[in-house]
Amino acid sequence: MSTGKQAIEIRFFMFLAELCKERGWTSPMSLEIGQDITGDELLARLDIPAERVEVLLVNGKAVWPSAALIQPGDRVALLPPGTPGPYRVLLGFKKLN
Amino acid sequence: MFYRVNMGTLTVTKEAGDQYQGLGGRALSSKLVETEVDPTAHPLGEKNKLIFATSLLSGTGAPNGGRMSLGAKSPLTEGIKESNVGGAMGMKLGRLGVRGIIFEGLPQKDSCYVVKVSADGVVVEEMPQIKGLDIYAAVAKMQEKYGEKVAIACIGTAGENKMAAACVGFTDMEGAPTRQAGRGGLGAVMGSKGIKAVVVDDSGAEKLVFADEAAYRAGAKKLANALMAHPVTSQALPAYGTDVLVNILSEAGGLPTRSFSSGRFEGANDIGGETMAAVNKERGGKSGHGCSPGCMIRCSNIYKDKKGAVLTGGFEYESVWSLGANLGINDLDDVAMMNRLCDDYGVDTIDMGVALGIAMEAGLAKFGDGKAAIALLQEVGKASPLGRILGAGAAITGKVFGMRRVAAVKGQAIPAYDPRAVKGQGVTYATSPMGADHTAGYAVATNILSVGGKVDPLGAEGQVDLSRNLQIATAFVDSTGLCLFVAFAILDIAEGLEGIVEMCNARYGWNKSVDEYLEMGKQLLREERLFNKKAGIAEGSDDLPDFFRTEKLPPHNTVFDIPKEELNKVFNF
Ligand code: SF4
Repeated sequence: MSTGKQAIEIRFFMFLAELCKERGWTSPMSLEIGQDITGDELLARLDIPAERVEVLLVNGKAVWPSAALIQPGDRVALLPPGTPGPYRVLLGFKKLN
Repeated sequence: MFYRVNMGTLTVTKEAGDQYQGLGGRALSSKLVETEVDPTAHPLGEKNKLIFATSLLSGTGAPNGGRMSLGAKSPLTEGIKESNVGGAMGMKLGRLGVRGIIFEGLPQKDSCYVVKVSADGVVVEEMPQIKGLDIYAAVAKMQEKYGEKVAIACIGTAGENKMAAACVGFTDMEGAPTRQAGRGGLGAVMGSKGIKAVVVDDSGAEKLVFADEAAYRAGAKKLANALMAHPVTSQALPAYGTDVLVNILSEAGGLPTRSFSSGRFEGANDIGGETMAAVNKERGGKSGHGCSPGCMIRCSNIYKDKKGAVLTGGFEYESVWSLGANLGINDLDDVAMMNRLCDDYGVDTIDMGVALGIAMEAGLAKFGDGKAAIALLQEVGKASPLGRILGAGAAITGKVFGMRRVAAVKGQAIPAYDPRAVKGQGVTYATSPMGADHTAGYAVATNILSVGGKVDPLGAEGQVDLSRNLQIATAFVDSTGLCLFVAFAILDIAEGLEGIVEMCNARYGWNKSVDEYLEMGKQLLREERLFNKKAGIAEGSDDLPDFFRTEKLPPHNTVFDIPKEELNKVFNF
């Protein structure tokens, strides 16, 4: 892990903040990615099971891990299921039909 | 049964209130205000009335069903006001079979009254020894007199001095006054009537009769199952409380920081739910505290200071935001102290925090200076001229100091979600008959919403439809007495909503459909708007202050851009 130009900055919230502590990581943490990666690839790289993440905030915008494209320099936050209230709708985590 | 308490003659009468059949909570309190209060009445005058209303499920012990509703014409918005509150009182009034209490008239002498409700009826008693006391001290004195088990609603300095942002403090299940009917200055209305407190003792209450107890239990079980199955209500809220939203909103760029000048606060994590939970663990405080009987979610907390003494409770996201991020303060102990002072003086944390932010922008203190903010707040407790200005709320404070950026709608301060980055919430702030209110559009259930696709919080599209549906669903949930947080579970688990409808039907022997309950929500909104119109609140006031339309909010650099004509469509139903 380094803070080079090819790095992204990751934050962990709620239960993932605890996971982050258990693993001795910092939040924010810097991660070298070298090139663009998808959200799913990021989770695989961090060894975090997909069901533990509801949504990513990439530069402050909500995207599902499978739809996310992360580029070097991005700021990423990982949110587990559990964001209360209408915010999962208002912030666009949840799709309504 | 309804009680009418006349504070002019100090007499109490009992009424059946058949005309209010089928209504509860906000639907009942607003109906009473609309029927009985002249919309042009002065909020602090003889013609205004203060309503305490129980809800459709009060007294049943339904999962999260312990909330009640206060109503009056608001001294803050000059319009109709409903303020919803948890704590122990709703359940006790429900068990006593009380559907509503109407406080009217003005006292003939300057005394200090306590209204006591019990199985024997309602009496008005003088208790001059608690006049002028802060809420925690007054509650302790009343517990000495009436016993530890009573539920108490009490006003503090702010209410006694009729400050327009005064709230009413309610005791929780441990008897601590940590829950507030916070918004709209209802504490000032209570103060104008000389009522320091309402005390409810439900000992000797008869057993509640259900039209169909088995069906009620089946419905309650459905809701309970949904609450236990859902990660929000079963895990996230008990672990972190609502304060968990600080980091999320900040990251999403919607956490109003330093008086709405940025959407992201660099100190968010210092005051967020993750940190609060860790502090509670370390100091022996409590996360996962239930504020009212039957609560299965337990989003509330007990927060201790560095020495391990209880400092405050019910320390919620909106308060942490208003007294923390909005003032640029990242010291959670300072924010907790301010929360305690607000609860003790009896002033709404949201209007207070926004007023303090405006005072800081006006140069009375520096952003980030927690000690200076505490000192300003203490002026409210002293009811000094400066304290009275701040205690009159954000809009008045802004006017007095000649400020242009005042985050308020219809006189009520805008809460913790910046409308430029969470635009659906912005639509609700602009259009709710309550003035800017984050809870007006809280309840969301997929099966009763018809919003196509995913909503982009930064875009204008779909927000009006979303806000409309949220407001209608909320008006319904507000009437049941269920804590709005059940909405988190019923959004994803359809059975939860079914359970709610079945409980209400089985309680009274009705056969209403979801649509009929939602119609009640619609009707409620129509009537509230009509009251406001008659009170002289023009339709043009359904908008946000103009700086939200012109000043870009970092980090997304967006403005609120939903056209006014679109906003008018919220009430197309
Ligand atoms: S979820 Fe929170 S606000 Fe609702 S009843 Fe429980 S403790 Fe009170």
